[in-house]
Amino acid sequence: MTGLAVDAAVTPAAGENSRFAPSSDSSFTGTRRLLWLVLRRDRFRIAMWMLGLVGLMVVSASSIVALYTTNEDLEGYARTVRGNSALIIQAGPGYGLDDPTLGAVVMNETALWMFIAAAVMSVFMVVRHTRTEEEAERAELVRAAPVGRHAALASAMIGTLVVNTAIGAGNAVALLTFGLPTAGSLAFGASLVGVGMVFAGVAAVTAQVASGSRTALAAGGLVIGVAFVLRAIGDVGNGLLSWASPLGWAQSIRAYADERWWVLALPVVTTVVLVVAARALQDHRDYGSGLVAQRSGRPEATAQLSTALGLAVRLQRGSLVGWAAGLGALAFFYGLVADQAEQILEDNPDMADFFAQLGVASVTDAFLSTAMLIMTLFATGFTVSSVLRLRSEELSGRVDPLLAGPIDRRQWASSHLAIALAGTVALAFVCGAAMGAGTALVLGEADRVGELIGAGLVMVPAMWLLAGATLLVYGLLPRWSLAAWALVAWAFVAAMFGSLLDLPQWLLNLSPFQHVPALPAAPMSWLPIVLLAAIAAALIAAGLAALDRRDMA
Amino acid sequence: MSSAIQIEQLVKTFGSTRALDGLDLEVRTGEVHGFLGPNGSGKTVTIRILLGLLRADSGTVSLLGGDPWSDAVELHRHIAYVPGDVNLWPNLSGGETIDLLTRLREGGGSVGRQAVDLAKRDELIERLALDPTKKSRTYSKGNRQKVALIAGLSSSADVLLLDEPTSGLDPLMESVFQECVLEATAEGRTVLLSSHILAEVEKLCDRVTIIRQGRTVQSGTLDEMRHLTRTSISVATDRPITGLAAIDGVHDVAADDGEVRFDVDAGALDGTIRHVSSFGIRSLVSQPPTLEELFLRHYGDELDVASGRLDEAASS
Repeated sequence: MTGLAVDAAVTPAAGENSRFAPSSDSSFTGTRRLLWLVLRRDRFRIAMWMLGLVGLMVVSASSIVALYTTNEDLEGYARTVRGNSALIIQAGPGYGLDDPTLGAVVMNETALWMFIAAAVMSVFMVVRHTRTEEEAERAELVRAAPVGRHAALASAMIGTLVVNTAIGAGNAVALLTFGLPTAGSLAFGASLVGVGMVFAGVAAVTAQVASGSRTALAAGGLVIGVAFVLRAIGDVGNGLLSWASPLGWAQSIRAYADERWWVLALPVVTTVVLVVAARALQDHRDYGSGLVAQRSGRPEATAQLSTALGLAVRLQRGSLVGWAAGLGALAFFYGLVADQAEQILEDNPDMADFFAQLGVASVTDAFLSTAMLIMTLFATGFTVSSVLRLRSEELSGRVDPLLAGPIDRRQWASSHLAIALAGTVALAFVCGAAMGAGTALVLGEADRVGELIGAGLVMVPAMWLLAGATLLVYGLLPRWSLAAWALVAWAFVAAMFGSLLDLPQWLLNLSPFQHVPALPAAPMSWLPIVLLAAIAAALIAAGLAALDRRDMA
Repeated sequence: MSSAIQIEQLVKTFGSTRALDGLDLEVRTGEVHGFLGPNGSGKTVTIRILLGLLRADSGTVSLLGGDPWSDAVELHRHIAYVPGDVNLWPNLSGGETIDLLTRLREGGGSVGRQAVDLAKRDELIERLALDPTKKSRTYSKGNRQKVALIAGLSSSADVLLLDEPTSGLDPLMESVFQECVLEATAEGRTVLLSSHILAEVEKLCDRVTIIRQGRTVQSGTLDEMRHLTRTSISVATDRPITGLAAIDGVHDVAADDGEVRFDVDAGALDGTIRHVSSFGIRSLVSQPPTLEELFLRHYGDELDVASGRLDEAASS
């Protein structure tokens, strides 16, 4: 075949006989065109991620710059944070806080969460443009064209690199405009790109191995969770395990604290290794299926699979079990470090006064209530995605055979909603029980288990409210269903950055979680709980009514 | 009740698009009714309105005497639906999907009824050669369609709404499908069959409705519709035929090696044959118009309109 090129050049007639034009085609042919497709299809998502991740850094940095004006302010912050395991878990080792600068404080407050966000975005993006495309059978149209076997993977990876680079650069520029040092700003931007690309590489591999796109996503998410826990243990302890975590690498570049540039080699090398591995693995799997084969199912349905609810259980149980396992492990881990919270007071008499003023009985309780808020915010991810199942079932046309049977829309929507609401209760319970178990173990206080189960369950009405809001958006404006995630994102921002950003109270109050009594630090009060539940019920009723009146897709 | 489905002046718009523009459709109880029309002419929209998935803007729609929108659930106990583009839950096996859909319909009815359904289900799985243990994500289009067909045909529904149900089946399976439809009508069920496989429609359907751009252009039995169009005649005579082209209703006369071919309108058939016979007929072959020809006439108009639009677009 290679001889053709020469023959064709010498005698044109030889070329006419052969349909194969001599060319430089490879398994990557078409990557550039597919890259445009990736960026074109995701332009809205990319804009949202950029806006979110750069915008968050802008508001965080601006408020920190305004808040910590003197060296005493910075030293006060550092005293609180330094060496406190409870805070280190959700902030990182606190490089540069021995001699605190504004940059070090900004990093300690924001960096870890930015890294996680970049990782999540990258996993979603890579899986969306590889396995999800194959499952939707759109990819065959592309592959039937003169497009190489690896072009989809290559374009997904390059597209993710483009977006990560844009986000990293945007962050660096944002930090520079607040007058922070150039080296640190660039280092943070670069580490953001690095951590995003490592997890893009992870997703490239899980996309080859997993039996379906949902499993590929879940596996990517699991790796992020493991990376979080590894670096948390490492950061609290001797730091060794942090080197086993890509999130740990991103912190180890030490932005604004005597940057270690060589650390950047770790994500670069790892990404290359993962991509090469993904490419090799792809050659060993069939189009449309993963290396892990699809098992065959039972020829007849079990008795449970007889109703709409039975189907909803079947469709969602796997995801619920996964969420419960992941959140349970993380909550247990949070519980295990509860004993460290008291350190805050020993290290920092100012904080003791602060807590005394707030009327908080114990710092341990304050830590536990914050930890519980974070865990239930995560769990709300299940709540919303569970309600949004309705949208994917409708869009895929899978709902048609159900609604063509003697089932009305309310019954069908209620079946998935029931899983969302009951699953939410289950997850809140698991979070409470696991955190309680960890706390009881480390503090030797057995009654912590019951107390924290209560602290978890008290969050349920707020989570239900977001389920109701999601249902209403879906019923009223189905095309805007994904906007429901904005509510979750807002609840996160209000909870994690609300006090830091000094946002107006009415804006914070838009998050239902702001109204939940922060057990065990605050006393129980039933009124907000009842009100939240009532609003949730009203939203659900309105959502079902709206769904009843509109056309199905 | 003589009509299972009665639609009059049905209108459905999506934004500025008029998907249905005064559509009429009558399906009599117990018949197999062919529902034909080019792509995008509104067949699926009509069926989705009959299913209560879409709400009509105006016009009257009656399904088994009920309103498909407000009486959806009650009506759906008596109908079965097979879509042309079947999407299934990827991690359920074919067998599980069939059972789920059947049980939802029967609402967990009596044990005896379920036993009958199971026998029917297993028989259909056998006849359509489906492997029920495979997960739906591994099925081909044809196999996904078999799952929907088995779920629909094994039900005891009075009305079957079939929207291009065989577009992915092989010829062998298609003939099994045709047998099943004939068995269903023998049991007195009503079938609305939207299809592009004209041989299938010709074989199965008692009456046919052809729609175009959301409007009904023709409706009736195949015989009636044939009557409305031309018969092709090929004739050899002792003496050369003269004056044929002058007869009103005769078209496309062509002479070839002593044989003359022409098309004639149904109304002019008698006079034309009299005229031709005066030249001494040696052989005569008469071909009634096939459904395909009927169809192409209407599609042809459509194509003219479409290409006209393209020209406009190109010139503007």
